[in-house]
Amino acid sequence: MDYPIWNLSMGGGVLIAIVAITHVWVSHFAIGGGLAIAIVETLGVRRHDPALRNLAKRCSLMLILVSTVFGAISGVGIWVTIGLVQPAATSALIHNYVWGWAAEWGFFILEVATALLYYATWDKVRPRTHLLIIWLYFFAAYMSLVIIQGIVSFMLTPGQWIVSHSFWDGIFNPTYFPGLLLRTGICLLLAGAYMIFAAMREPDGDARGRMVRLMAGFQVIGALVAYGGYRWWEHSLPESVRVLFLGSSPIVPALATTRLLVLWALAAFLLLGLFAYLIPRAQRWPMAVVALLAAFTFFGASERVREGVRKPFVIRDFMFSNGVLVSEIADINRHGILAKAKWAARESDGSPVSMGRAVYRAECQACHTVDGYSSLRKLVAPADADTLGVILSTLRAEGDEYTSGKYLELGHVATQKLDYPHMPPLVGTPEEIEALKAYLLSLHKPKIAEVPNAK
Amino acid sequence: MPNSFIPALDPAALPGPPWLFHVLWVLTFLIHLIFVNMVLGGTLLAAFVGRKKPGAREVQTFFVGLNSWVISFAITFGIAPLLFMQVLFGRFFYTATILLAWAWLGMLGILTLGYYLNYLAKFRLRNGKNVRVVVIIEAVCFLTIAGIQVAINLLHLQPGRWESVAQQAWAALGDPTLVPRILHFVFAAVGMAGAVLALVATRRATKGVDREACQGMAQFGIRAALIATGLELLDGFWLLFALPEEVLKAFMRGGPATMIPLTIGILFGLLLLIVLAQITDPLAQAKKVRRVAEMIVGAVVFMVVTRHQLRGIYLAPWRGEEHVTVATQWGPLALFLVVFVLCLGLTVYAIVRASKDKPGPGEEAA
Repeated sequence: MDYPIWNLSMGGGVLIAIVAITHVWVSHFAIGGGLAIAIVETLGVRRHDPALRNLAKRCSLMLILVSTVFGAISGVGIWVTIGLVQPAATSALIHNYVWGWAAEWGFFILEVATALLYYATWDKVRPRTHLLIIWLYFFAAYMSLVIIQGIVSFMLTPGQWIVSHSFWDGIFNPTYFPGLLLRTGICLLLAGAYMIFAAMREPDGDARGRMVRLMAGFQVIGALVAYGGYRWWEHSLPESVRVLFLGSSPIVPALATTRLLVLWALAAFLLLGLFAYLIPRAQRWPMAVVALLAAFTFFGASERVREGVRKPFVIRDFMFSNGVLVSEIADINRHGILAKAKWAARESDGSPVSMGRAVYRAECQACHTVDGYSSLRKLVAPADADTLGVILSTLRAEGDEYTSGKYLELGHVATQKLDYPHMPPLVGTPEEIEALKAYLLSLHKPKIAEVPNAK
Repeated sequence: MPNSFIPALDPAALPGPPWLFHVLWVLTFLIHLIFVNMVLGGTLLAAFVGRKKPGAREVQTFFVGLNSWVISFAITFGIAPLLFMQVLFGRFFYTATILLAWAWLGMLGILTLGYYLNYLAKFRLRNGKNVRVVVIIEAVCFLTIAGIQVAINLLHLQPGRWESVAQQAWAALGDPTLVPRILHFVFAAVGMAGAVLALVATRRATKGVDREACQGMAQFGIRAALIATGLELLDGFWLLFALPEEVLKAFMRGGPATMIPLTIGILFGLLLLIVLAQITDPLAQAKKVRRVAEMIVGAVVFMVVTRHQLRGIYLAPWRGEEHVTVATQWGPLALFLVVFVLCLGLTVYAIVRASKDKPGPGEEAA
């Protein structure tokens, strides 16, 4: 929050989602694809089956182009993006997990080197060495996931870390193993969903049938593992998170709908995978495309649920999505948000509206834009001054609830008891809250009035 | 020096002693820079090698082929210094990146484009097609990335300029050291790529590969290295004297700690010029060609140290009130060291085994 604030009409959260979801599609394929290629080539060598070895060869260029090029760059892209949109959270993560990331980097070196080596040594080394390289690749790629899963799941369920601030408590948090199982399943199902296309290009009918069945096996096993992981993950969430999207009357209905999409997409994918497994000769391109889209939908939606249920936090029970720490609410209420958010404050000329705009920049812009994504102008349009005053007072009072301990249950803030469980509390001095109200009311004016010299 | 726009220090303790992060940062940056130099310099040489020169096609094939490995390693080894830098100077670095957010984010798109263009060039070369335009665009991509990196790294050192850049992002280009810094990287990259090209050509010649092509490659590489090193020395002095007065004075007052690495770096440069000028027939002077490559790496080592020291001097006034607490995470640190050694060992083992385990005559290959 004491960083400059990037003006992005699409919203920073949307940008992070685009980069992150693109990256995870690719990176999970890089892992599952590595395993699938290793198994395919191993079977090809053991069975002296040139068709299987050709399949591994055909897929290996894709693995290089996807894994070492796009995967590597988009992985850095996530860092770049979160550093731009959530610098305070990135800094907190780096300070806690730098050695974890550094260890993951060690595995990444091995992953990149073996991926390139594997592709470069087709027809040049003995089969045993070639197999060793691809199995090393898979080991390195999976170990990257083993580490990164700890950091990703930590943000949603920091568990005992909140008290101990221990690296290991944070990594082995309540959703670490369920999430790892879920992601393992996703790696497998994505490998099957992508590589079935390569299998279908096999000209020999018998060989094609065998290979399609093998890839469909990845799809089915992956889908079952992912389902088990997903349900275990849901079960491991603290009650304060579960009530947001589970149960008969979820607090955030949109997330409950997304959860249904997760399950239905997975069910559709499983059915298509079973069909391809049982009748591989009937497998056709449109079915494979639909299965791939179902896999993307399942994975994208499950990531959306995971990100969505983390709100209003970026690191649950520690830091809100606007960078305000739970521990600093009282202090900010005393001294003012603009005393901390100096970059936002520099844009204020002291008038209530400009001061309110600065408060908006500091506290709201992490999730809202004025006219773009999650538009504040649209959100405040139906509210008159009195209504807005009540909403802002409630939001501010919720900050007191976080600090008073009244709603603390089992070490978690029981967000289901808040009126705005998906929003960080409003913090700042009464003068700043009034200024924010003035700014929000100014958004009622037609946009044309903001244009200089407009009539 | 007070500056209200510098974000507060992260409240979390450093998970290791600062000196360790500095050492890891410098070491990993050095490796990253060697790969980056090969990518940038190699692509420039491949783009501008004279069409009719003997060995021109081999020059392009060599660098385009090399790039498909080296770009990956440049990215991979760029992750670690970025990580360690964020632990120590995150509040300065994040601010600079946010002020130039579109350039910082756009760099990834440009990098992706450059990398895929390299694969396009590789496949075109394999099919005997012309790649000049593709490689020129690729070189422009990498030059742009170099410019963005230098601009952001320079900006994070100068909180005093942040407000003007926040008003107008182009103000980031207004620093008098920006151009000589970029040129310093570019000349070093061309010098290193030229030396490596000549070294590879001499090795190939000893194995009986087309001598005329090898001669062309080696001469082109040595000439490029000579010109780039000469310009690098001139640019180095331009950069030194373009530094802000207080920074230059503090650097000079640093005593042996700052003056020795700089002096050795400059001496390496001068010696390089002399040796390069003596090489008239690279294939016949293979030993000297190897010396050149070694000296360039040596010069880069000392210049990386100097660069790191300059960063400390730039930032010192802004970090006067910084009180860092340290709570070393011994277990995770040990995990990193074990994983790093294991993975590096496995990488070397895989490469060595792949280079030795060739199938015999009539034996099945993978």
